[in-house]
Amino acid sequence: MRLSRVVIAVCCCLVLTSFTAPAQKKGRPAKTQKPVVVSAIDTEALKKLVTEERERPLLVNFWATWCDPCRDEFPDLVKIDSEYRPRAMDFVTVSLDDFSDIKTSVPKFLGLMKATMPAYLLNVSDPEPAIDMVDKGWSGSLPATFLYNAKGEVVYKHFGRVDPNELRAAIDKLVKKTD
Amino acid sequence: MRHLAILVAFVFVIAGAVAGTSARVEGEVPAAPAIGATIEDFTLPDVNGTEHSLKSLAGKKGTVLLFIAVQCPVSNAYNERMEKLAADYKAKGIAVIGINSNVKEDAAAVKDHAAENKLSFPILKDAANRIADKLGASVTPEAYFVDVNNKLLYHGRIDNSRNADQIETSDLRNALDAALAGKPIEKTEAKAFGCTIKRA
Repeated sequence: MRLSRVVIAVCCCLVLTSFTAPAQKKGRPAKTQKPVVVSAIDTEALKKLVTEERERPLLVNFWATWCDPCRDEFPDLVKIDSEYRPRAMDFVTVSLDDFSDIKTSVPKFLGLMKATMPAYLLNVSDPEPAIDMVDKGWSGSLPATFLYNAKGEVVYKHFGRVDPNELRAAIDKLVKKTD
Repeated sequence: MRHLAILVAFVFVIAGAVAGTSARVEGEVPAAPAIGATIEDFTLPDVNGTEHSLKSLAGKKGTVLLFIAVQCPVSNAYNERMEKLAADYKAKGIAVIGINSNVKEDAAAVKDHAAENKLSFPILKDAANRIADKLGASVTPEAYFVDVNNKLLYHGRIDNSRNADQIETSDLRNALDAALAGKPIEKTEAKAFGCTIKRA
């Protein structure tokens, strides 16, 4: 009888833990993590960002919080960011969420992902000129990932969820491994 | 033993070939028909399972096919606009037909969604995304306007913004109005923006 009470008590604790643990994980970013700031960007500024000459290659990922494959691939992108951005490559994300999400769902998701790369949200009433500016052949479907060399030329692009190894291979072609 | 090894190798080759041919590369959508191409008549069930042909639902002066979704916030932002579009142009002889090709949204979900959002135009369920593939539809919402002979006159977005208060260009309405007036359609294609259609 005593044993069964102990078993029930342990089970209750486990159930409670299973409910509370994810909530803490999702709701509170790690204390060391800075709050995620998402900046608005318009078509002209985006054009300047992707086409200007720079010292390092640039990876740009277009995404949205409502896009399932975008969310699915984000952990891979965060990993790739941590591997390359400190030493060889710049990486920015551009959200195509609604502008009203710039201080809510977009930074919330990026915080959950522990994403620290510069984050933008395309603030335009009409996304077509921006989509055409990035790539005439891009339908606007998300996610879309573009790798630019230091001259601002597209050297790799992928529509749909990225294959991390394929993306790494493309980046490795551009950057010299230091390790 | 040698025969067994050959058999195993053969099975792997066949399995690989089948996987290679049946798997769809993510992000890859068949090309859409060119403007001016004729769309073949097709048949799809509605949310109650009743089959309808495009011909049976077509308007006297043309038909708009709208790929829509249950869960996509972009498509949902257009619900009122799509319903108004259907009402406005029904009287002018243009029918609006919704098509749901998302594999994860079954007919019951589509029916409930239509009722909740007061969508009164017919909505067909394209369970195997056969028609989405045929038309090269990639996102929701995405519109196709065909004339009485099923000739494609316009393909793309409904308008420029998911926010109704930021509409600057009503591309689909402009196309319908031009066709009804017997005038050439100035912009026959405009990139549709929305959630990717989840294919089987």
